[in-house]
Amino acid sequence: MNTNDLIQRLSTDLAPVEPLWRPGGRALAWLAVAAVYVVVLTVLLAKSGASIDLSSPRVWLPHLAAIVASLLASWAAFASVIPGHSRRAAACAAIAASVWVASVIVASRWDSDVATIVASRHELACVAVIILGGAPVLVAMAAMLRRGAPFTPATTAAFAALAVGALTNVGACFWRPHAVDDVTLVWHGGAILALVVACALGARLVPRAVGARLGRSS
Amino acid sequence: MTAPAQPSDALGLLMRAAQDGDAVAYAELLRAIAPQVRRIVARQRGFAGIADVEDLVQDVLLSVHAVRATYDSSRPFVPWLLAIVRNRLADGARRYARTARREIRVDESDVTFFEVETNTDSGEPADADVVREAVRALPEGQREAIELLKLKELSLKEAAEASGTSVGALKVATHRAMASLRRALGPKNQ
Repeated sequence: MNTNDLIQRLSTDLAPVEPLWRPGGRALAWLAVAAVYVVVLTVLLAKSGASIDLSSPRVWLPHLAAIVASLLASWAAFASVIPGHSRRAAACAAIAASVWVASVIVASRWDSDVATIVASRHELACVAVIILGGAPVLVAMAAMLRRGAPFTPATTAAFAALAVGALTNVGACFWRPHAVDDVTLVWHGGAILALVVACALGARLVPRAVGARLGRSS
Repeated sequence: MTAPAQPSDALGLLMRAAQDGDAVAYAELLRAIAPQVRRIVARQRGFAGIADVEDLVQDVLLSVHAVRATYDSSRPFVPWLLAIVRNRLADGARRYARTARREIRVDESDVTFFEVETNTDSGEPADADVVREAVRALPEGQREAIELLKLKELSLKEAAEASGTSVGALKVATHRAMASLRRALGPKNQ
């Protein structure tokens, strides 16, 4: 088809579109909804009489770092679907995630051997909360991201999964309160890492969908 | 007195109007950016033919159309456009590498033979109705191969996906169809 004909076709019957909110605004909107969901999920799952002592910075600091990492990772995900957006958001998210991991490492008690960590099957429930409980907010974010330009689907999906994993990890630490220790770090960290890797690989497997989204099939 | 709008700002204003559904502004915007995009693509893909460059330009315009909601009117237009161009160029390069690695153009290994009488180049152009009739008379698989590869001009990979057959089977069907057509449109049948 001739380029002039294409321009004519694209501009004929042009439908108005609502410009997307800025990535920061979209991240805040998503986090607000996702946080309400995680709170409700945690309250529904919480065992009666269970409570967590937030008086020590060793307890609340990693959770605060996780929430900040979630916000910045969602900002990075939304920024990554805006052509020409600076990579500052991605850098901030990477730094926040590093600070979060460092805070957990510093706050953790390191007194378990490998056999104890592997045998801590009760942590499987937390893994389920992080991955299965996070699925609805991940789907919500994917739906929001679909309105953008999926130029780097793997990176976008990885940041989205990190945002979801960081937030649901906080819920997983509250519904069944437990100490911040090496067992928690390995199981929760492993679940979040698995979620990030699975989403990044999954996004790489759908290049056709990306091509179609960019209009090649239209 | 207000300062005249910078060219990039003017493009941004046109895109903002296009987001509101202004078709005239959108056509003006696409006509304004098409030559710039063509220049960039031609510079980056100097080795590609004119048709490939134009394909990439159209790819960029389609992408601009598909993601026009992502343009933020408070930000400059040109970096937004250049990011799309860069992405489509990278995608085009990947597609080019894939195609070159996996496909052999049928036209380059066409069913032309050393003998002068069997070479299509030496024949007279056939009547369009006769050709249509000859294509209609082909077995279904061969007819589909001719329609997809020769009439619709799809690549082998695209045609294979559309017909649900393999690239090899399509090549064989095309070869046989060409031979059948050559027989049908030979001197005796003209």
